Amino acid sequence: MIDPYYLQQLAIGLSLGMTYALMAIGFTLIFGVLNVVNFAHGEVYTLGAFAGLVLISATAPPIFAVIFIALAIGAMAGFSLERIAFKPFRRFTDEASLKSRAMRESTLLSSLAVSIVVREALEIVFGSQMRSVPFEYLINTPVRIGPVILVTGDFIIFGVAAAMLIGLQYLLTRTRIGLSIRAVSNNPLGAKYVGIDTDRTIIMTFVVGSMMGAAAGILTGLYYGAIFPAMGFVPGIKAFVAMVMGGLSSIPGAVICALILGISESMATTFVSSGWSDMVAYGFLILTLIFFPNGLFGARRERV
Amino acid sequence: MTALKTASLAALMTAALAGTTLAADTVKIGYQLPLTGETAQYGQDFRKAAEIALTEFNAAGKPFKAEIVFEDSRSDAKEGTNIARKFVDDKAIVGVLGDFTSGVSMASAQVYKDAGMPQLSQTASHPDYTKISKYQFRNIATQAQEGPYNAKWMLSKGYKNIAVIAEQTDWGQSVVSGFTDGVKANGGTVVFSEFFNRGLKDYRSLISKLERAKPDAIYTGFFYEDGAQFLRQVQQLGIKTPVYSTSAAYSPKLIELAGEAAEGVHLTSNFLPTDPAPHIQHFVTEWKAASNGAVPGQFPAQAYDAVRIMLAAVEKAYPNPTREKVRDALAETKDFAGVTGKTSFSADREAEKELVKVEVKGGAFVPVAD
Repeated sequence: MIDPYYLQQLAIGLSLGMTYALMAIGFTLIFGVLNVVNFAHGEVYTLGAFAGLVLISATAPPIFAVIFIALAIGAMAGFSLERIAFKPFRRFTDEASLKSRAMRESTLLSSLAVSIVVREALEIVFGSQMRSVPFEYLINTPVRIGPVILVTGDFIIFGVAAAMLIGLQYLLTRTRIGLSIRAVSNNPLGAKYVGIDTDRTIIMTFVVGSMMGAAAGILTGLYYGAIFPAMGFVPGIKAFVAMVMGGLSSIPGAVICALILGISESMATTFVSSGWSDMVAYGFLILTLIFFPNGLFGARRERV
Repeated sequence: MTALKTASLAALMTAALAGTTLAADTVKIGYQLPLTGETAQYGQDFRKAAEIALTEFNAAGKPFKAEIVFEDSRSDAKEGTNIARKFVDDKAIVGVLGDFTSGVSMASAQVYKDAGMPQLSQTASHPDYTKISKYQFRNIATQAQEGPYNAKWMLSKGYKNIAVIAEQTDWGQSVVSGFTDGVKANGGTVVFSEFFNRGLKDYRSLISKLERAKPDAIYTGFFYEDGAQFLRQVQQLGIKTPVYSTSAAYSPKLIELAGEAAEGVHLTSNFLPTDPAPHIQHFVTEWKAASNGAVPGQFPAQAYDAVRIMLAAVEKAYPNPTREKVRDALAETKDFAGVTGKTSFSADREAEKELVKVEVKGGAFVPVAD
């Protein structure tokens, strides 16, 4: 018989991994699948959470309205983010610029700049204190399953993450938009030559990815009951690690790796001090980069 | 040429000083604190408290006006030392307040030690901080005082096997060592002790691990954000073990964020906003006016007192306050009637404070006898 303690730790790890996966899905869509270096996803997540919180404190709406406003703000944030930090770098359409690595990677800095501006602006407007979510909106009522205690939010997050994953897989493999996203990511110049509207494809991907990021933000906010401007940073790192481990372009890979990450962290707490459990994520990142440069689930594809 | 310049400058300064008998002049104080980053909420509170104290001082018709230069350290030790150098280079600054964390305060203290600049931190409670040099003061009870006090309190309630957790910082380590010493000296056992990283969101793994040691009670070294998450998740996991904490968790935000999960938490404090004493009510009113009716926690109160203690020392050193004179005046502080009780500095520049036992009952901090 397994010690119920380990079952509980496994359950905690799974639920932790789910919150990472939720963030990792949208992140991987933009960063990995579209192949655009974007470090502002954490702020989209925070914006989604704040949008939901503002609506909750203003009008006491039903939960679906909260999610809806987060999605709307996420879509707007994704669109503006692309417009401010990414589009200016695509204004040169000659072949040299389109193939240039420097042009592509310069968005690392521009997206980082946007993320800093957004975070500081949120701090000015809302203050840097943690804000509490009214208790009736929290999704952490305990649920007991045998020896294991979970909360309602675990099931909601599982459902949402699964829906996002299946929806995106369908979009990417079965629809024309998905096809064009993959084409643009594979070879932007080639995609342009065969008549794909690359601008529109990139904007669409940003909008969809950021909606998912914002939804992740508000759900995690309701799950932990605390919303603050710096909340996107740690999940952003975990999502990044999950994406790299999963092979950059594979969304199922990123989700599986997010779960591995969560379980490893909660299991590691049993054997080492909790202060060291963050090391697990970074350790995995280093090991993956050394031994599996293509990630655990990555297709063998030439990285540009 | 340079000699001439210096001479004329000196002449000018003498003239300026002579003129001060009529025109009020200004004395500058530095305040290093985190205004952005993960601990910005504390720094912003300190600035608010300092501004209340400063406005009062300048409105009180003193012979000189005071000015505070705020610099953002982001709770980063490197940033803190840079600010310290900046303050030291500014000849007009005669004393420094801050920083927030023990780590940053201690890093900056090295600079102040060499320059002979008095430094008064409102919150740095690591035992080694005031040992750095004769220029370091603090306005907070250390964990070396608070730990044994809480240990006795818990043992007197019959909790013999106690689990301790604290954040992985200089301060957190002093919480664990101060408390563990107190428990051992009084015949109890620490059955579990561990550190976690500040800002951890999910404590459930740690809580499950801690409960395996079957403690009678849990003693915690955390601030309100971590505290609220921890308490909530303790409740989620259906654990009923009593939780005790330090004065660092004493903030109305703890109750706001943790809700009913905070019920029954015991902790110590040296500031009670409900105390009817007029000077305390005056501060609480001013604070509420400046922060949309929110009640101040213990930290802003300590910052308010620290600023007033510093200003009182500057006033004592006036006219012509120098860093050395301000230091000596600080060291002489005796029974300063602040909102966090009467404060005197011991020979080791430690604030001697009275602690109050508090329990969370019905969504409020209520003083308890034992």
